[in-house]
Amino acid sequence: MFAVFRINVAVFFAVTLLLSGCQTESQTFVDDAGARESAFDWRVPASVPLPYEPDDNPMTEEKFQLGRHLFYDARLSVNGEISCASCHEQARAFSDGQQHPSGATGEVHPRNSQSLTNAAYFNNLTWGNPALATIEQQVMLPLFGESPIEHGINEDNFEQILMSIQADETYLRLYAEAFPEQDEPLLGELAWDNSVKAIASFVRGMTSFDSAFDRGEMSDAAKRGEALFNSERLECFHCHDGYNFSDATIDRGVTFLEPLFHNTGLYNIDGMGAYPDPNTGRHEVTGNPDHMGQFRTPSLRNVAVTAPYNHDGSVPTLDGVIRNYAAGGRVIASGEHAGDGRMNPFKDGVLVSFQITDAEVDDLVAFLESLTDDAFLTDPRFSDPWR
Amino acid sequence: MKIILTPSKRLACAAGMSVVLILPSQASAHYIPAEGEPVQVHGTVMTTWRSASPVDEYEFWQIPGTSMGGDAWPVSQGVSLDEVSVMAAKRFDQNTFVKLGVSTHDGSDGHQSVGIEHASLGFVCCDSKGPWVVEAGRMTAAFSPELLAHRSASEFTEPSLIADVFFGRHFHDQGLRVWLHETAGWSAGAEVWQGKAFPATDDSDGGAWDAFARYAFSTGRIHADVGVWHYRAQATSRADHRYGGGHQHTPVAAPGEVATIFPDVRYTGDVDLTGVHAGSSVRIGAESTLGIKGAWAQLNMEGVLHDSGSREADIVADQYAVWLQPYLTLHNHTVSLRAERLVADNTLTGAAAATLGEGAGLLSEDGHTPERFSLSWLYQWRPQVEFRAEYISDQTLPEEQDRFAVGVVWQGSLLSGHAGH
Repeated sequence: MFAVFRINVAVFFAVTLLLSGCQTESQTFVDDAGARESAFDWRVPASVPLPYEPDDNPMTEEKFQLGRHLFYDARLSVNGEISCASCHEQARAFSDGQQHPSGATGEVHPRNSQSLTNAAYFNNLTWGNPALATIEQQVMLPLFGESPIEHGINEDNFEQILMSIQADETYLRLYAEAFPEQDEPLLGELAWDNSVKAIASFVRGMTSFDSAFDRGEMSDAAKRGEALFNSERLECFHCHDGYNFSDATIDRGVTFLEPLFHNTGLYNIDGMGAYPDPNTGRHEVTGNPDHMGQFRTPSLRNVAVTAPYNHDGSVPTLDGVIRNYAAGGRVIASGEHAGDGRMNPFKDGVLVSFQITDAEVDDLVAFLESLTDDAFLTDPRFSDPWR
Repeated sequence: MKIILTPSKRLACAAGMSVVLILPSQASAHYIPAEGEPVQVHGTVMTTWRSASPVDEYEFWQIPGTSMGGDAWPVSQGVSLDEVSVMAAKRFDQNTFVKLGVSTHDGSDGHQSVGIEHASLGFVCCDSKGPWVVEAGRMTAAFSPELLAHRSASEFTEPSLIADVFFGRHFHDQGLRVWLHETAGWSAGAEVWQGKAFPATDDSDGGAWDAFARYAFSTGRIHADVGVWHYRAQATSRADHRYGGGHQHTPVAAPGEVATIFPDVRYTGDVDLTGVHAGSSVRIGAESTLGIKGAWAQLNMEGVLHDSGSREADIVADQYAVWLQPYLTLHNHTVSLRAERLVADNTLTGAAAATLGEGAGLLSEDGHTPERFSLSWLYQWRPQVEFRAEYISDQTLPEEQDRFAVGVVWQGSLLSGHAGH
């Protein structure tokens, strides 16, 4: 009976095909306008969009490799003791495990060293500067910045530092390969411009998407933690959303992303919402009182190996971070930073207190630990080439 | 030839009393009370048991290649109260009438809500029998038979793919309708809508309109009808409100289960739909009728997909859905077969095309074109009570599923002395 019926159906469908321009099977054509095209092997899964590449600094493997050498080279400092890797260690997902890093002159940085995991996907670099939108811009700060001094390169020493680079045959080859269109890629200011682009290329290429979470190999505790993370009770996912677990994520599919910064109620030292100087976040740059204590949402990928936490490294453990959020802010009972962060008037509205048991905290930590990409932490591709 | 079907005639049709099956459903939502007629209050209850749901718990029902929304929830496994509705109509004077109606709507996790489907005022012009009728208020659209009737008036417990995919199952909106009402076999008119019904939105740039015409005739043992319609909607940031839209809530899964957040992809742009429908039946005995009916609808979308993360992709979609339904009525029994097919031809352009296409469900599965075959048996046990059994071979999702359904429908007058069936 069904056979006869299907013959009639076929006749009817044939008529409808004529009415419908003869399209007989469903199909979807996707033109991503070159969004997956790159001269560089990004090593990201197909489900993750590629990050932007600057028009004036497209990614190449040669620039990545040059940048890797420069990243680990302490000659790029005033005293030959500080390299980028000094504060960004691979085993710690390119953070340093210190509350505050020190520069070449011993000056202590007020901020905690951020992980460089998936830095290519951030719409703003650093913790609180809404104007710092490219890695190239950011690289300039540790190399040449004076407040605080990190690498300490300045007008007095940059020629000498450059000469040491120019004298290295390895670099002669690497610069030539990285910038084949240039006759003298290691000459004068062009050399510094090229160096910045190469370091930025190496940092941009630090992609990490091979955790237990990505592979679907989470423990039961981690799965319970994931459910908590995505629950309306805890609301973690509102800021730590998407494939990079940060609402400050941008990629080639995003046309524009409003800079997002959040006050998490970590301080309230004057009862009026103040954060301790000079760590006032976005407010430092804009001067807008409403921006007091606002910092960019960090990615949670590899977060378990990047302790201590928060912009100033003032929370030693993930457990502590979770409990601060559970309280709706941090209460500091005494000392120069005493205050009730829960009552900070600039605190983000999504941060309200929630009940959580010790077991649930453990589950949530297990979930965060499942975001660790062990291969990324040991991949020779990102390791020190001078060793 | 004027055809006005009363609720009693409608039930007679369902019982196989030699009137074509497609017309009663038209009458249910667009019945116009006659002058001098008492208040008509009609009620319906439909409950069904199903062997399976097309999707597992915590999964989203999204037929690949389509942009779904509205109230097109997947049917549930087990017993469900598919429909409870009450419809009242009253003619006040020679020209004026009012209609009020409430009905249950499906919701998430099998939960239902009650909504106002009708709250409209009508004016019959230019004498008490028309032929022109103007209606305003909250109404069911008149342009397509797909949207006129509840499931209880259909031979199948599951709405057609045209209704579910293209219109989100129901179409109730605030609007204005001007039409030539069933005069010499003809009905034709135009409707404008605020845009509260999928696939439109009701913002300043939203809204919808449609125009339709249909013709029905009977000669001796043969009855036939044919109609054509066009519908145009504008949508701004339209969400699939079944799972998304507004504040995103994460589904709460049972221990050991995983519930994911719905990718809240929105659509802004135009939607054009054109449809034809036709039916024919022949009386082959004193209490037996053989008939066939079908419908075809073509959808065109041209606009932008976007999400909260500033991703955008252009979309041009050409989709059509068809169904064909032969049926046989013998005494109080009606057996119907329905074959459905939906073909999507979508083009997504932009850096975020793949991401948004996947989130919106608009990526077709390779080699998969949604189809569904349904076989139903209706038994009109009493004038107000109908039993039904159904088999569905569902190939709308990449994973084919066979499921069964049995159910019962009660419908009739709720006012004493007016049951009259």
